[in-house]
Amino acid sequence: MLTTTSSSTLAQSVTVTCIRHGDGHGHGHGHGHRQWFQPLPVNYRFSDAARNSLLSNSSIFNLNRTPNRNRIGMGTFTTRAAAAAQPLKNADELIDSVETFIFDCDGVIWKGDKLIEGVPETLDMLRSKGKRLVFVTNNSTKSRKQYGKKFETLGLNVSEEEIFASSFAAAAYLKSIDFPKDKKVYVIGEDGILKELELAGFQYLGGPEDGGKKIELKPGFFMEHDENVGAVVVGFDRYFNYYKIQYGTLCIRENPGCLFIATNRDAVTHLTDAQEWAGGGSMVGAISGSTQREPLVVGKPSTFMMDYLANKFGISKSQICMVGDRLDTDILFGQNGGCKTLLVLSGVTTLTMLQSPNNSTQPDFYTNKISDFLSLKAAAV
Amino acid sequence: MSPQPLSPNNVRDLLDSVEAFLFDCDGVIWKGNELIDGVSQTLDMLRWKGKKVVFVTNNSLKSRAQYAQKFRSLGISVSPDEIFSSSFAAAMYLKVNHFPSQSKVYVIGGEGILEELQLAGFTAFGGPGDANKTVDLKQNCFVEHDKSVGAVVVGIDPNINYYKLQYGTLCIRENPGCLFIATNRDAVGHMTASQEWPGAGCMVAAICGSTQKEPIVVGKPSTFMMEFLLKKFNLSCSKMCMVGDRLDTDILFGQNAGCKTLLVFSGCTPQSVLQDPSNNIQPDYYTSKISDMLDLSGK
Repeated sequence: MLTTTSSSTLAQSVTVTCIRHGDGHGHGHGHGHRQWFQPLPVNYRFSDAARNSLLSNSSIFNLNRTPNRNRIGMGTFTTRAAAAAQPLKNADELIDSVETFIFDCDGVIWKGDKLIEGVPETLDMLRSKGKRLVFVTNNSTKSRKQYGKKFETLGLNVSEEEIFASSFAAAAYLKSIDFPKDKKVYVIGEDGILKELELAGFQYLGGPEDGGKKIELKPGFFMEHDENVGAVVVGFDRYFNYYKIQYGTLCIRENPGCLFIATNRDAVTHLTDAQEWAGGGSMVGAISGSTQREPLVVGKPSTFMMDYLANKFGISKSQICMVGDRLDTDILFGQNGGCKTLLVLSGVTTLTMLQSPNNSTQPDFYTNKISDFLSLKAAAV
Repeated sequence: MSPQPLSPNNVRDLLDSVEAFLFDCDGVIWKGNELIDGVSQTLDMLRWKGKKVVFVTNNSLKSRAQYAQKFRSLGISVSPDEIFSSSFAAAMYLKVNHFPSQSKVYVIGGEGILEELQLAGFTAFGGPGDANKTVDLKQNCFVEHDKSVGAVVVGIDPNINYYKLQYGTLCIRENPGCLFIATNRDAVGHMTASQEWPGAGCMVAAICGSTQKEPIVVGKPSTFMMEFLLKKFNLSCSKMCMVGDRLDTDILFGQNAGCKTLLVFSGCTPQSVLQDPSNNIQPDYYTSKISDMLDLSGK
């Protein structure tokens, strides 16, 4: 039995999503937390069918999350009939139909530290056609500024203002809810999050330096925590340890109204091009497990970043095409936001995964890599 | 049915109708390394009355033998046979399901799990030994993992780190048929007397997050250990009473198995939580601590 929670329930009490697997477990007891803002409707729930197939070792792409077509703060979800994705044939038609392209980075622009073939020329072509380019990544290890440097190192002409990393999203979210400047943020994550919080004028604790703190569970040992922490931000953290988990858990469980914010919940990510690495979904899962609370997710597939940039640049969603390599974050993000979606096969998703009967997320189009915009364009002439 | 507070009237009924008491440990028998008041005398009384006494704990840090040692150091005589720790449960799960001897087990957890697996004849590695391992995230780097790992067992791990998360994730995602076993999913526990600390629920959820798989749970409230207990002691559930401090593990465990349940407030659950309208797990009885069974029965 799958228990779900709507965003209105989130505002009232601590709830737990439980999956019965064999002899699963029931609800954890919790304590009420009054939240003084509208929570994001970001906790997409799996249908029983999808969850059951997940349990039977099938691909990770049978995530039957329903897209949310409503404003931030609303708890209703509508389903969208999944028409099969079309191979991209007429690139011009797609390019002419939108004004803005949003690109994911890992698996679309680069893989690890290597640029994917044909990317510079493609971006130049789109710019020459007057298209706005935006880069949205769930990777919270760097700040926008640090990403700007990465683009520069790879020879791409991209400005900081065009980059939206989930590290930035966390800080932007806190700003959007007028998070008080006298409250602190505890960070379980890397430098990127710290830099963005600092830029936004927030006080923070934690980050990589807590990676060196060890716990010894000796009799009489007691961990103190700062009662002024009003939010815990959790993202990918290669220095993850028990000290950080306990510190974050204490803040969330004991500081009244303390927010639990996740930069993203990606299960795995290509941190190096040689392997898939356990992603932010792991650290966020851990804190969810100890607090029995679900986080507010600011990264994809939550539409927070889409709403933010649509608002900032004054663009309408129907004028946007989201380009990404991951169905359960990039494509769902685009669908949730109500824009066109293009899946590229240059990253983690293969054609087999896209076409698998277990997959119910269908982008509008798919193609091998973004430089197909150039080659398909030439072929169509 | 509304839970009843233990009283001189009903405690006698309870003691007469129950032949075996199953006690949780953390928050019921001890808190951290301190024995809770009156526990020794209560256990003595139950044994004197001819009751079977067993201990069922989700804490997988120790093996049964190590728990017996802890009881001894607190002045209570208990044989390892009377202890059912989730570390033992994990090993037994693999045994009853004929886990092949040529397959290995990767452990994210404490020494207790490793010891029980090794006692049961399995090749297990990981555990505290991986506490200081780090990862290199430079270009072309990757973590090697043993392709013969057929099961990953996850329990509470104060030495959790990214290396272990990645190793376990690789085994589960890439080794065909690799099992994902959780000793338990308790969110927090009294690892020290004065404070609650993140429990196995945390480490297990971390692996769920990276693998997008749900584990097989061998500890409470799963009835796996109960089935083992029933076979071992030849008892009927209706003559058993589960005594614990946690609604979503101890009490649910007792209810799932069909035995009586008694909640004590000496651990992580205060009376206010039991009586909160959002709680829907109702034990048969409740009381402040187990020695009330002794005091209220007038012995």
